[in-house]
Amino acid sequence: MRIKEHPIIDSYDKGALIEFTCDGKKLNGYEGEPVAAALEANGIKIHRYTRKRHSPRGIFCAIGRCTDCVMEVDGKPNVRTCVTPLKAGMTVKTQYGDGQREAEKE
Amino acid sequence: MRRYNLCVIGAGPAGLSAAIEAAKTGMSVGVFDENQKAGGQLFKQIHKFFGSREHKASIRGFNIGYELLTEAKALGVDVHLDSVVIGIYDPLRITVCEDGCITNYAADNIVVATGASENTVPFEGWDLPGVLGAGAAQTMMNLHGVQPGEKIIMLGSGNVGLVVGFQLLQAGCKVEAVVDALPHVGGYGVHASKLARTGVPFYLSHSIVRAEGEDHVTGVVIAQVDSHFNFLPGTEKHFDADTVCLAVGLNPMSQLTRMAGCEMVNKGGLVPKTDKYGATTIDGLFAAGDVAGIEEASSAMITGRIAALSAAKRSGFIDEKQFEDGYNENHSSILKLRKGMFAPENRGRMDITKTDEGYPLSVSLLENGFVSDTEIRTFPGVISEEGVHPVIECTQNIPCDPCQEACRVGCIKIGEGITSLPQVNADKKCVNCGRCVAVCPGQAIFLVDEETENGFGTVTMPYEFLPLPQKGDIGVGLDRAGKAVCTAEVTDVKSRKEFDHTNLLTVKVPSEMVMKVRFYKGKEAAKHE
Repeated sequence: MRIKEHPIIDSYDKGALIEFTCDGKKLNGYEGEPVAAALEANGIKIHRYTRKRHSPRGIFCAIGRCTDCVMEVDGKPNVRTCVTPLKAGMTVKTQYGDGQREAEKE
Repeated sequence: MRRYNLCVIGAGPAGLSAAIEAAKTGMSVGVFDENQKAGGQLFKQIHKFFGSREHKASIRGFNIGYELLTEAKALGVDVHLDSVVIGIYDPLRITVCEDGCITNYAADNIVVATGASENTVPFEGWDLPGVLGAGAAQTMMNLHGVQPGEKIIMLGSGNVGLVVGFQLLQAGCKVEAVVDALPHVGGYGVHASKLARTGVPFYLSHSIVRAEGEDHVTGVVIAQVDSHFNFLPGTEKHFDADTVCLAVGLNPMSQLTRMAGCEMVNKGGLVPKTDKYGATTIDGLFAAGDVAGIEEASSAMITGRIAALSAAKRSGFIDEKQFEDGYNENHSSILKLRKGMFAPENRGRMDITKTDEGYPLSVSLLENGFVSDTEIRTFPGVISEEGVHPVIECTQNIPCDPCQEACRVGCIKIGEGITSLPQVNADKKCVNCGRCVAVCPGQAIFLVDEETENGFGTVTMPYEFLPLPQKGDIGVGLDRAGKAVCTAEVTDVKSRKEFDHTNLLTVKVPSEMVMKVRFYKGKEAAKHE
């Protein structure tokens, strides 16, 4: 959920409200904010499923270190969504296992 | 190849401070940071900092970040963002991945100020979405304006856990519990008290057994642990929670210095061996801030300046005398911060039972997060007198003194050094200005008038939540433990610019409650508990 009013922070540094998709679903977010922040604001917690046990993973460090939050973004797998700025029209997909480049898919 | 007199790796508090200090001596400075914004973790620190005026005490972290950035830019420092330093090569050359290109920079000196990352701790379900670092939660809410969850369990009662716990409340989340395997609250007691008085329970000597849920966290089970951290059967407690924040320490990000061939030592994580000037075992390569040993941001800024002065002397931008003067000033400044019961040499000690002055420490504070009614009266900041007067519930030796400076009439005195407990001087008459309440980074100062009218008195408290109560509101007074103890009427709300978002809330309560009531909730908010 987005914080509408904060007792200390007068405003957040946000770009324009734009549309993007996650697994085909149209969502809104602010341009330039991390993809992960836009997903969390839309209630999406699962970013990927692991290769061996297919267990779900989400945001863990939020500063680009742990790589737990990687997804397929605009056809590229293993993109760290917590440090990747959101752009209008971005295509975000849940990643399964190691992920695949769009070009490698059949 | 572009050359800088000084290349700084990391644009956090240590790196920016190093850059500023170096640029002042005339050095050309390039700062490199992998993030899209400079400031490191400063911009998510929305609380007022501790220390003295020279450490920027009572200024919120993000405002310190703006100050440093503005100063660095004014001094002509080149800040390279989105620039990952991927290696340091002999002789003093850095390789940077910038805009997707690899660029080499030659450096006369290098300051590595790459900071630290959060530790983690495994338990059943720790890898579920909804379990995240406390710093990660702070990034989501304070930088990006998104709540990390609704109902939070905070694991770890050090300053990070306590500060982030309070910020979660400010962001509108509910903190269900603060849990720590150690028997004592690890961070400043004043930080714990801010949480406790709102009703957040502390579970010391407890840890998380498991996080439950299929796709994401839906519940958390904690249990008591013995002194060897083994769970005690039958002590399990279940919480409905969707989020677990891990505040279990930081680990220096020292990979670059290791790769460069610096001699490394273990100091709460692998760090480059440095002398008191920040010099590593490689000539011209310095380290500052958390990468050289975990401390607070206030200390990181000072170690950054010391490293920069060392580099400036090495390259002849300042002479020996200028260096000595600069070093001594910074060294004495950092020594002030490194005193008291939270000094680096006291880290992890469980056997401190008295303050430096000899006052017995509050056991309830260490075990429950709040000082008990009887204990509070034993401290020098707590007096009883006619008329309005400050009650300073600062009971541990922490490095902080803004209250003394805030009081224009001399009611508040801090003895020798900034870690001494503040004392209230009953001979000087408090003028009810409220500045001490607003500047205290620990939100530990209250203005109390024991009797303003027949059987009633007033308590003025710091208040940093929304919605802001209005004059005339009738709500509930909560004690230090967060328990509703009486009806409270809001008689005044002060929100001045100089108070920087710390509002002063005055409530009227029965006289016998003025030494108990330390928080206020509107009737509706209290009902939801």
